[in-house]
Amino acid sequence: MYNLVDLTDRRILVIGASSGIGKKTAITLSELGAKLVLAAIDEEGVKEALTELSGDGHAAYFVDVGKLDEIESFIKKIVAENGPLDGLVYSAGLGTAIPLAMSKPEKVQNTFNVNFFGFFETVRQVCKKGRYNPGMRIVGVSSCASLRGDKSKAIYSSTKSAMDSAVRCIAKEVADREICINTVAPAMTATELYQKFVDKYGEDSDTNRELTSRQYLGIAQTQDIANAIAFLISPAARFITGITMPVDGGLTTS
Amino acid sequence: MTDQEKIAKLEEIWELDEGTLAADTVLADVDEYDSMAKLSLIVLMDDDFGVKLTGDVIKGFETVSDILKLMA
Repeated sequence: MYNLVDLTDRRILVIGASSGIGKKTAITLSELGAKLVLAAIDEEGVKEALTELSGDGHAAYFVDVGKLDEIESFIKKIVAENGPLDGLVYSAGLGTAIPLAMSKPEKVQNTFNVNFFGFFETVRQVCKKGRYNPGMRIVGVSSCASLRGDKSKAIYSSTKSAMDSAVRCIAKEVADREICINTVAPAMTATELYQKFVDKYGEDSDTNRELTSRQYLGIAQTQDIANAIAFLISPAARFITGITMPVDGGLTTS
Repeated sequence: MTDQEKIAKLEEIWELDEGTLAADTVLADVDEYDSMAKLSLIVLMDDDFGVKLTGDVIKGFETVSDILKLMA
């Protein structure tokens, strides 16, 4: 039977793989045949995720993508130990909600470090000769927040918009190396971040009701986002590059 | 930090005039105490007092005094 999203033996690095969308994506990609290199700041979490993968030949590493000067050595190490990459999923992120007046420079910097600068530097490093195989796919986990405006989301939205802008430019630069790079923009997804949102506002709050009325297919499951990533990271998506794909239950157009 | 200094911090983040709040001020009577003010409070408590507020804890606040007790 023809399998559109066949990832057999494709070596894919998933950063932010210890929880949420990153973890579910890693599990999904392994079920489609990929060999995973998992990485996260939560060392125990990423080891736990490793045990949930299908198949064998996977590996797990600690990485703090907020420490930008350590990313090069990290990429060199995982390539030396696992071989060149066929894919990168960047799912590390901080979900900050901070009013403008409280958005001190160090808070802006911290969020940008993980959400954007870490992504940018990781992409820069994996796109160097010898670290990837032709046909590599890169998917960054952005957010619908990049496409919309909301109170307290200036920092978070800016980091995600930066990711989206970057991939539009990088896509052209790496096209002749047969690399495709895109972002997915999930709407509110049932992750720990959503649980924090519910804790903060309450499930029966006006804020949550307003959200679910606009996002009319409901709250996304991590599997919904993982499925979109699996397609974009697969050879089947070879003609898609430089885009931001909303995975949003209707939110963006509502 | 005295209670007065803590109250001054709340007045600062909520952009209230000095002397607007007192320990026995009922939060429901403060027009500026809205969802954004609560977010600012979350950030202040985390940054300055190492306290992570949840929605349930915030819902339980009735007066300024309830907040002051957590500003240890």
